[in-house]
Amino acid sequence: MEFFKKTLSPVAALSIIAVLDVFLFLSVGAWTVGGGETMMTGLIAKLFMGQSLDRIPFWSVAFPPDPYYWKIYISLGMVFGAFVGAVLSKEFYWRMPHRLSEWVMLTLGGLLMGIGIRLAFVCNVSTFFGLTPEMNLGGYLAVSGILAGAWVGTWIYKKTLEG
Amino acid sequence: MTPVAECLAAFIFGTTVGVLVQRSRYCNVAALRDAMLFKTYRNTKAMLVAMMIMTLGFTAFITVGAGKPMHFDVGLNTFIGLFLFGIGMVLAGACTVSTWVKAGEGNIGAIWALMFTFVGMFLFSLLWSFVFWPPAPETMTGAPNLAGLQLGFANAATLQGKTHIPAIVFGATQTLVLFGIYRAILRRERTQVAATIDSRESTACEAWSSAPAAPGAIDRETAEQSV
Repeated sequence: MEFFKKTLSPVAALSIIAVLDVFLFLSVGAWTVGGGETMMTGLIAKLFMGQSLDRIPFWSVAFPPDPYYWKIYISLGMVFGAFVGAVLSKEFYWRMPHRLSEWVMLTLGGLLMGIGIRLAFVCNVSTFFGLTPEMNLGGYLAVSGILAGAWVGTWIYKKTLEG
Repeated sequence: MTPVAECLAAFIFGTTVGVLVQRSRYCNVAALRDAMLFKTYRNTKAMLVAMMIMTLGFTAFITVGAGKPMHFDVGLNTFIGLFLFGIGMVLAGACTVSTWVKAGEGNIGAIWALMFTFVGMFLFSLLWSFVFWPPAPETMTGAPNLAGLQLGFANAATLQGKTHIPAIVFGATQTLVLFGIYRAILRRERTQVAATIDSRESTACEAWSSAPAAPGAIDRETAEQSV
């Protein structure tokens, strides 16, 4: 299929996603990722800890694990869609970071993203494609925060590249 | 909509996003990092176009009371949380979308980052269970709560309610601002292209003028002397 042989323009791809997101906004809510990831964290923790997870107030009060939380399925859909796209375009192969510094950056980056999402209740997707288009006050706070954070992150990234 | 139907709609949407992002190599990190570091805007332009479409679409439906906007109080935690997230996504080289998409392409590093995103969330859940900040959604009132460092809740619907101006008017204004940024990027790109062409032309001229004459060629001074 021709679609899987060439790279799609990101403007075209994001325009299609934006139109679909408007329909999602009408039916269940705008595109978001962090909420689904939090619920997955709770479900995985429940798998390992069982009933003792209920002793942690966050999981009993703020975010009780629920497998029917719709946001989980956006993330599962994304990994499935990307897998299908990669296989059909013959771009699927196992890639492994080689340097220790890459593993350290991935670990720190992952931790900061997880803590940041839970502290703010939103991720970058909700910031740019949910809160801000809804003209939510939180969108402007989040955009300011992520721009400042990306600037600091870019500075660290640049220093690492130079080092 | 039943919970199963919601999950199905979300899965279909997610799958479409996964295919489109994988085929377009779109990345939110690149949209910010590349603009700041390399002054390239391939992903930034896509993000702005999507935001313009969504702003018009969301506010149009909010005007008539349709749609399901996010509803929770925001405050200092929103800024700090996304500040930490912004550092994290640049260090990991992937945001919440691209970690899932790269994981689907077989990228072990993305799967590793995703695992530690879960670990970070779990660590935060332990911390929250001691400090109970930011306030849980159940305790939010929508009004400012200075003790909890919360500004409350406001969006296009509350603006419409307070001003009696349709939300789409605010949406159109925001879209114009986003379009202004988009136009500024296009202008900057044109300037960059022009500068690159000028630089190539001047390099070519310098190379031509400083090149040694071909063997056997007589320079003008020698020719004039011989006449």
